Amino acid sequence: MAGNADIPDVPNPPVTKPRVKMFACPNCGGSITLRYPGASMSVVCENCQSIIDVNDENYKILTKFFKQAKPFTPLIPLGQRGSLKGKTWEVIGFMARSDVNSAYFWTEYLLFNPYYGYRWLVEDKGHWNFITTIKKKPESNLRVAGIGVMGEVLTLDGKRYKVFNSGRTQVDYVIGEFYWRVVIGSQTNTADYIDPPFMLSCEKDASEVVWSTGEYISHKEIKKAFKLDKVPDPIGTAATEPPRAKESWGKMGMLWALFLAFITCAQIWLSGTSPYEVACDYRGIYLQNGKQNDQTTPVFTLEKEKSNVQITVHAPVSNSWFYISGELVNNTTGATYPFERTVEYYYGTDSDGAWTEGSSESALTISAVPGGKYYLNLDTESGGYATKYKDQYNLKVVRGVPLYDNYFWFAFFLSILPLVSWSTMRQEEASRWANSDFNPYVSSSE
Amino acid sequence: MLTLSCPSCGANVNFQSKSSVFAVCSFCKSSLVRQDMNLDEIGKIADLQDDLTPFQIGTTGMYNKEKFEIIGRLKVGYKDGFWNEWFTAFGDERVAWLAEAQGFLAFCYPYEATDLPEVKTLKIGQAVDLKEKGIYEIDDIRVVKCLFSEGELPFDAVQGRKSTSVDLTGFEQEMATIEYAAKETRTFIGHYLDFDDFQFKNLRPIDGW
Repeated sequence: MAGNADIPDVPNPPVTKPRVKMFACPNCGGSITLRYPGASMSVVCENCQSIIDVNDENYKILTKFFKQAKPFTPLIPLGQRGSLKGKTWEVIGFMARSDVNSAYFWTEYLLFNPYYGYRWLVEDKGHWNFITTIKKKPESNLRVAGIGVMGEVLTLDGKRYKVFNSGRTQVDYVIGEFYWRVVIGSQTNTADYIDPPFMLSCEKDASEVVWSTGEYISHKEIKKAFKLDKVPDPIGTAATEPPRAKESWGKMGMLWALFLAFITCAQIWLSGTSPYEVACDYRGIYLQNGKQNDQTTPVFTLEKEKSNVQITVHAPVSNSWFYISGELVNNTTGATYPFERTVEYYYGTDSDGAWTEGSSESALTISAVPGGKYYLNLDTESGGYATKYKDQYNLKVVRGVPLYDNYFWFAFFLSILPLVSWSTMRQEEASRWANSDFNPYVSSSE
Repeated sequence: MLTLSCPSCGANVNFQSKSSVFAVCSFCKSSLVRQDMNLDEIGKIADLQDDLTPFQIGTTGMYNKEKFEIIGRLKVGYKDGFWNEWFTAFGDERVAWLAEAQGFLAFCYPYEATDLPEVKTLKIGQAVDLKEKGIYEIDDIRVVKCLFSEGELPFDAVQGRKSTSVDLTGFEQEMATIEYAAKETRTFIGHYLDFDDFQFKNLRPIDGW
């Protein structure tokens, strides 16, 4: 392994093989090879699977087996070295552990580098996490810190970890060598907290509490690092799987908020700066229950280059209707902008009491009208009146009215993608938390 | 640096730190006790069989931008394992310890603690008041035995020397160790650091790596 960039400054980088130690298994007499004497505390006999205490002069047997079945095969062979997080790690131990209550199991690989110490790779349904034991202790949001309690949030180095699972874990199967006296069937209380792709785990037994941090590693990275032919594809969403949908929602949500704020500001500015000039305030005559055609307003001026025009019609209707059709005519070019409008207002009483419907006023907007001299041609009609007198209606032409339609449409279309992104994120998070004992996506009243 | 000669074999025995009162002759492995300019042989240190560590006497490192050098080692064992305490000296009179256990490194300074609780009364989880250094919590209490020593050390580190080692943690990476030995009680305060933080040089070659 000479020339490894990650090996720190050593005077003469050795090219020798590891100084292994060999001895006979006190149970079966088979040959046991200890790869790291002076570091490992216990080793599993490859032949009979007994666990031997190598710190004991007489190689005491910790767990005795004879030809135990091998229910697990490590995906990364023992002795394999790989480069992860910029350092070389050798797989020296492998264990299968399970939840005592549910029998749900997973596997763990003990990694060793004599300069950097120990790390773990935990594999669960094809998902991998790189685990580092830490000496720091996180801070709990709870005054009396339990281990794996509903609502618990731990803080460490600026990250907030939410409680994900807790339970009692036991060791089912081991091979290789370990830095403590590993015992089959030994149990610890465990709890996992997540801030994807990071994890914080706690293991507690009678004598100590051990904290560790973890980070999700893709199965492809494991395959490449340890030069494996094949690693199984991951199944489902892992607790620490990088929250891609959440991140893209985060970015998109931010942009969305920015755009909405921008167009809202723009709208407020446009509204505030709209000229709102009354160009023409016309009083016309109409015939109740009749027609009055071919009215023409005086010529008026529409200021500015190009802007909208709002035409508001007001008629004294009362259980009657008034209809006006007309055209805005450019006195210079002859360009016309036709429009029509009905004003109607009804009221009465029925079994529910008094009711009203409609209004004596109605407005319409014509957008992008060039500036210039204009007049209106108007035809009117009305009905429902009790009398047949002449009456007056009012028509107002206003230049430069603040409009909200465009704003609302713009906001609506702008919201489609972010809403899809948000829903994708919700789905991803629901799938992640489906495996949790503390799933916030289901009600607790199950 | 003070150089004396080994009363057993005559080889040079160096004392880089004035606080060192004990040394192991690198040539004949005699354990030597220093009193001023006198060296007395009190025994021999048996060789270590399985010893896997990246450090050795002469390894240098950086702490707070200052260079230190490893000048001695105490390896202690307890019922569930062992660890190394590397005695280090800076260029001046200051000394410190680099504790190495299962890949964890803690760098700590001697601290003159007062009013420490009696060793018999200690319990895991108990809070210990280290005055201006703050309150620390006991993580571990271990009865340890000196397995091996080399280089120079500030106390008689003969093989089999017994003591009670108490590990404590404070805020952040802060840690403390109290060592209750037969003759004296020593307190150290420091913190955990990553291997790369020290920029070690002249490390021990490890076969196969």
